[in-house]
Amino acid sequence: MPGATDTTRVEREAGQAPVPTPPPPSEIAEAAPAAEGRRAKTIEVRKLNLFYGGFHAVENVTMTIAPNKVTALIGSSGCGKTTFLRSLNRMHELNVGASVEGEVTLDGQDIYARGVDPVQVRRLVGMVFQSPNPFPTMSIYDNVAAGLNLNATRIKKSAKDEVVERSLRGAHLWGEVKDRLDKPGSSLSGGQQQRLCIARAIAVEPEVLLMDEPCSALDPVATLAIEDLIGELKSEYTIAIVTHNMQQAARASDVTAFFNLEETGKPGRLIEVGETETIFTSPKEQATEDYVSGRFG
Amino acid sequence: MAEVARVEYQEELERLEASGLGGLDLVSSALGRTLEAVEQQDIELAQLVIDDDDRIDGRYLEVHQALITLLATQSPVATDLRLISALLHILKNVERMGDQCVNICKMIPLTGNEPPADEEMIKLILTMGKQARTLISQSKRAFEERNVEMARDLVRQDDVVDNLNRECFGLALEIGDDPDRREWAMTMLLAARAIERIGDNAVDIGEQVAFVVTGLFQEFEDASHPE
Repeated sequence: MPGATDTTRVEREAGQAPVPTPPPPSEIAEAAPAAEGRRAKTIEVRKLNLFYGGFHAVENVTMTIAPNKVTALIGSSGCGKTTFLRSLNRMHELNVGASVEGEVTLDGQDIYARGVDPVQVRRLVGMVFQSPNPFPTMSIYDNVAAGLNLNATRIKKSAKDEVVERSLRGAHLWGEVKDRLDKPGSSLSGGQQQRLCIARAIAVEPEVLLMDEPCSALDPVATLAIEDLIGELKSEYTIAIVTHNMQQAARASDVTAFFNLEETGKPGRLIEVGETETIFTSPKEQATEDYVSGRFG
Repeated sequence: MAEVARVEYQEELERLEASGLGGLDLVSSALGRTLEAVEQQDIELAQLVIDDDDRIDGRYLEVHQALITLLATQSPVATDLRLISALLHILKNVERMGDQCVNICKMIPLTGNEPPADEEMIKLILTMGKQARTLISQSKRAFEERNVEMARDLVRQDDVVDNLNRECFGLALEIGDDPDRREWAMTMLLAARAIERIGDNAVDIGEQVAFVVTGLFQEFEDASHPE
């Protein structure tokens, strides 16, 4: 791993190749093998500022996303929480003119340091999106194995079978699909598709799982199933989840971070971060109180 | 984030707070009549207090159910959640204070039409009761105003009740050998004890004031481990 820089600014045009890829750096490239109850990695964010061209979207965020915990990011629309989430695996820079200032480290390694391959970062920091997005023409099996196929080195069929089964079991989907692995991913229900996407994300053994409103398109039963799954996955991963559902943040997270913006056009800021229990019973900031109470909309 | 939302919910919560705390007015009134019944040995008035306790119990059930509905339908958090938790607690205090008045009133017929009353002891009990009513009104005001200092002062006010209770005990010990007078004194000691418990309930309400304001529950006084 090259030495971390204090402040990094990354700018690129959409569609261009990622920042130059150096020889495989690092601890970052070597994912620790998944094990029962392993310690996942810590994300430290320091003085992070995010921009879309000249628009300052997120201002000066400093926080820690603790390992083996679920951290919920809440706040009204446009407050920058999704932008912040996407900066944690260098997806923010995929937007035209997007740029980043500040530091994001994964167990001390700066993911924005010169020479770090964003593709490797995204392998270690997986993302599950708002709408379930399995590859529609691929089978259930191939959807889970997609990351393996893209990632790397050749892998034996038997080893791939093992990873697919382990990932589907990890996502609580194995029992429902084990007899139809060759059917298209799009044949599953919405809740199953989202669990398929989680299986796809964990198949490459990431350290961190980022989830951007993963239940917003799901019915209550599927939502609770995903929340249960998140609760189990935290024993293996560091998890950050953006949600508009206040009760979901209260139910499913250990730590809650509240983002807010003073007014439209101003950058979003981290107002308060703390144990979820504290945020929902005795928040320190009035703005947090007003938001979680739904007192202002 | 400027538009005020959930207006009906907020109004309902305010209504339930007023209604729940209004139970303290019912209790204060019941205690006032209880003291009058003790002083006058008025069995009919005592029965009225007993019958009227249904109003206090009814208030408990009505507000309790409405608070549970708010919990189920509105998912209150933060200050609202603390307020609802405190109100559920206070409702129980109100209901218990009402029951203590009933306990006293049930004893009045047991002492007979012309009991061998000791004036000094009656005077102590009436003073205790008056002080307990002060505690009740002060606890209500402290809650309404979210005034922790006023709530903490309830401990000092309650010490007055406790001391009067001990004085009653001393008088009972020296009441003499007459079995009727001794029996009457024992009954009055139970009445004094009931009033003393009403004071304790008022202090409990004060502790809930501190909880709503600070988010931390802390007993003002630890009865198990007094300083």
